[in-house]
Amino acid sequence: MLTLANVDAVYGGVIQVLRSTNLDVREGQMVVLLGANGAGKTTTLKAISGLLHADHGAVTAGRISFAGQDITHAEPSEIVRAGMVQVLEGRRVLEHLTVYQNLMVGAHLRSDRAGVKADLERVYGYFPALPELAGRIAGYLSGGEMQMVLIGRALMARPRLLILDEPSMGLAPILTQQLFRTIGRIKRDEGLTVLLVEQNARAAISQCDYGYIMEGGRIVLHGSRAELEGNQDVQEFYLGMGGGAERVSYRDVKHYRRRKRWLG
Amino acid sequence: MIEFVQILIEGALVGLVYGLVAISFVVIYRASKIINLAQGEVVVVGAFLLWTFTEGMAGIGYPLPLWLALLLTLAGCVAFGWTIERTVFRPLIGQSAFTIFMAGVALLILLRGLAQLVWGAQSRSAPAILPEGALDLGPFLVNTRLLIGAVFTILLTQALHLFFTRSRLGLRLAAVAEDHTTAHSLGVSVRQAIAVAWIMGTVVATAAAVVLLSGSILSLEVAVIGFKALPVALLGGMESIRGAPLAGLIIGIFEALASAYLDPLTNGAASGLLPYVVMIAVLLIRPYGLFGWRKIERL
Ligand SMILES: Nc1ncnc2c1ncn2[C@@H]1O[C@H](COP(=O)(O)OP(=O)(O)O)[C@@H](O)[C@H]1O
Ligand SMILES: [Mg+2]
Repeated sequence: MLTLANVDAVYGGVIQVLRSTNLDVREGQMVVLLGANGAGKTTTLKAISGLLHADHGAVTAGRISFAGQDITHAEPSEIVRAGMVQVLEGRRVLEHLTVYQNLMVGAHLRSDRAGVKADLERVYGYFPALPELAGRIAGYLSGGEMQMVLIGRALMARPRLLILDEPSMGLAPILTQQLFRTIGRIKRDEGLTVLLVEQNARAAISQCDYGYIMEGGRIVLHGSRAELEGNQDVQEFYLGMGGGAERVSYRDVKHYRRRKRWLG
Repeated sequence: MIEFVQILIEGALVGLVYGLVAISFVVIYRASKIINLAQGEVVVVGAFLLWTFTEGMAGIGYPLPLWLALLLTLAGCVAFGWTIERTVFRPLIGQSAFTIFMAGVALLILLRGLAQLVWGAQSRSAPAILPEGALDLGPFLVNTRLLIGAVFTILLTQALHLFFTRSRLGLRLAAVAEDHTTAHSLGVSVRQAIAVAWIMGTVVATAAAVVLLSGSILSLEVAVIGFKALPVALLGGMESIRGAPLAGLIIGIFEALASAYLDPLTNGAASGLLPYVVMIAVLLIRPYGLFGWRKIERL
């Protein structure tokens, strides 16, 4: 459904961040993209959604296609129209609009009023806290509430592919669990395809069908959930096995790098 | 007492017309984050366009019906607003605030020169679109033209508020007003939204010209209205449509009072100064204006 073939991306004409990135998202799958801070995950997602321009970035080589269409240099509005919506990292609600208005902005390309209304009810179904909050100004919500608004807003566009950039960032573990469960449910019920970027590897891998691991702007490892869960590097580095810690320490990183070098 | 209330009424009505021009600042600012310093000149060009299609056409022997003249004026300012955005400000997207400020100054001087070139420097009588005269309300006299203008401002404010919170195009513009990146990610064409905002702002400015000038004198000097309305827009909050008429009321009333009671003592300086004094006083306490968007601190 979504394919990146040998994509290079550059900021400011000189800083190369993505190096020949390949990625494939099949219809109906939940694909997770993991990697340390600065690995290039957000850049990958922005390249996909046509959002690099605003950061003075660009795709300089390779090809991105979505549903059989070349979208490498498409406008963000065309890409959303084609059925792909991204929830950016950093909880970008429209701060001064109400929750209801935020949700309706998600549907701004649609003229089927009845469909929009039905989808609003569906979003309220997935996030039962939202109807209560409908009239509230979105900028004053809690982090968890904002994340519901953001995912709900994306769903209002009726996407076929939903892209999420670190939705669990800054959420308490219990909220993160809830969030992933809801995302899983939405994916099943709506027949959505999902591409998810996460720091929280354990929760993400447990939900995914396929995963990619990125480092220094390259995909260094990929495989199905079972393959990733069985891989020792992934276990040590991302799943924090042994220490039980969710966050990866600097020592772990060094260890991981060393192991990686052996593995060549 | 009666005189005092009379002054309040007049100040309020004039203030609401300032509010109308302030709305044109606000509509443009929300989408583009540009304060158009040349907005007063835009009002003048709008007024001259209207003059051209009414008195001007009549003067050369082709009088047009009023509805057609208004329609042509509307079309003219749509094209005018679009042209300003397209030729001056779009190429500057992403440039520094200073560059954009200087472009605003340049535009102001350019429009002034162009208006003089096309329509000449002499004063003319502006077409009387609105009925002249005064309404007797008990002991008070209310200027009909300003009253219609004030009611129009209030209705337009409400209409725009509904537009920005309910309609698809309005929500698109609201998203752009909040954050261009987020708007992009939702599939909003930011460039298109900014162009629409410039067109709307130009149309509103021309509507203000109609109210302000109907039956009075039209000259290049009318552009001062821009600098009367700018403090109103800042006071109301640059993002707030509904703040503009309210701030207009406040500034209009202060100005009228100053004009009646302080100007005789200050060689007429007080009424020109006071709007800015009020504006600075309020902005010191609320830098985002009465209803502007304050930066929401995230924990
Ligand atoms: N706008 C930008 N201009 C220049 N460099 C950037 C920009 N955004 C990100 N980068 C750089 O690109 C690299 C990858 O960043 P990013 O894609 O945000 O990583 P991740 O999302 O995996 O944390 C980092 O080294 C970062 O410093
Ligand atoms: Mg990131």
